[in-house]
Amino acid sequence: MSEIQTLIRDEAVRLLEAHLVDVVVGFKAGTTPLHPQPAFVTNVQEAQNLLMDGFCQNNLATYLTRLPKEQKIGLVARGCETRAAHALVVENQHARDRLYLIGIPCQGILSWRKIEAEVGEDVLSAEETGKTVFIKTRNGNFKLNRQDFIHDTCLHCQHPDPVSPDIMLGDPSPITVPESSDQLVQGFAILKPSERYAYFSQEAERCIRCYACREACPMCYCTECFVDHTSPRWAESMISPSGTHAWHIIRAFHQTGRCVSCGACERACPMDIKMTYLTDKLNLDMRQEYGFEVGMDDASQPPFAAFSLDDKDQFVS
Amino acid sequence: MTKPWKPKITLFQCQWCLYAEADQHWVDHQLPNNIYLVKVPCTGKISPLYILNAIQGGTDGVLISGCLPEKCHFKEGNLGARRQLDEFSRFLNYIGYEEDRVRFAWLDLQDRGRIQQELARMEKDLLEMGPADKLTTRLPAWEGEDA
Repeated sequence: MSEIQTLIRDEAVRLLEAHLVDVVVGFKAGTTPLHPQPAFVTNVQEAQNLLMDGFCQNNLATYLTRLPKEQKIGLVARGCETRAAHALVVENQHARDRLYLIGIPCQGILSWRKIEAEVGEDVLSAEETGKTVFIKTRNGNFKLNRQDFIHDTCLHCQHPDPVSPDIMLGDPSPITVPESSDQLVQGFAILKPSERYAYFSQEAERCIRCYACREACPMCYCTECFVDHTSPRWAESMISPSGTHAWHIIRAFHQTGRCVSCGACERACPMDIKMTYLTDKLNLDMRQEYGFEVGMDDASQPPFAAFSLDDKDQFVS
Repeated sequence: MTKPWKPKITLFQCQWCLYAEADQHWVDHQLPNNIYLVKVPCTGKISPLYILNAIQGGTDGVLISGCLPEKCHFKEGNLGARRQLDEFSRFLNYIGYEEDRVRFAWLDLQDRGRIQQELARMEKDLLEMGPADKLTTRLPAWEGEDA
């Protein structure tokens, strides 16, 4: 058992015994090896089930808006989860004093898709030690280099360490933060418009409208989503091109200046549709126009919650 | 003989932005057939969904006319709209939609007759660009369409 796991369990026990929180949200073993599942720990015995490794792929901050508001929540949080939690506090979705952020360092989430593609069959067990991942299958064992199997979003993560957590467990992440997170967006933006549209429609039209991306996203918490409106019907609810295009455009646009780039949407997608190239673009624009980075504190409003006479715009004529 | 193609334009008009009565009368009663009018109480009412729905419904261009930034009837409705819709048009461009098909016109007190000029200019540019072929994924449901 890794050191960080012991630290998380001890901290969960301490918080629950001192009644500082009602529930600790973390991960426990899932039914299949590569998919640990979220755990809601309310007593000391259950705390011994908590685990944390690179296969934990959900963004736990999602549950801040799903759990009752009056509960005091202890959240096991990596960089993206702390930022999502701060952003939700800014949007009044959970009170900061009823939230306890247990910060843990992150070395990047492992992509189960990449691992399954590499080993080519069902995984019987998986273990992660330092820079290596050991995978056991029926046909043999695999020793994989961790760095090669990190999820695409995590490869250009700017904040692997928790942002102002209440307590920090373990040492800061040893990984080097890439200089810029914009390569993906810039690489896409230099393509010809017709190529960009072809890529977008090819990705969007594979959508089966299961809304797993919405459910996995910490910032998607509307009680009624625009796609669920029946009158007026904003977007077709079928898997017609019209419906899938509208869903992917507006879903991304509603995340403008709010998306924490955790990539939970892509990991949740059963069709492996790329989505972060859309939200990353909007985040990049918000950084350039308004110098805004989401979730860095508990007070800054996202750009679309405000406006100013001095805004630049390309249309004034 | 087929009629020459005319671009379809959707005009989102803030109901306060046309100061000259003649302009408002022209927009309300004498708009050409290829221009579809959506009157809104303020540009701040326009959600990106409105624009997307117009585009998907087969419009070739969208013109949004509103009051100058500091002259909003509701003080600051158009400022919020400006931030959002500006970014939305840039976003549409990012996914490959021609930026020039979504335009803004901020109208001032002395801009009498400008709405007609803007629409004419847009129509001229759209004639050059040809019919919109991206994102037009819905079946056409155009009022007065000669299908």
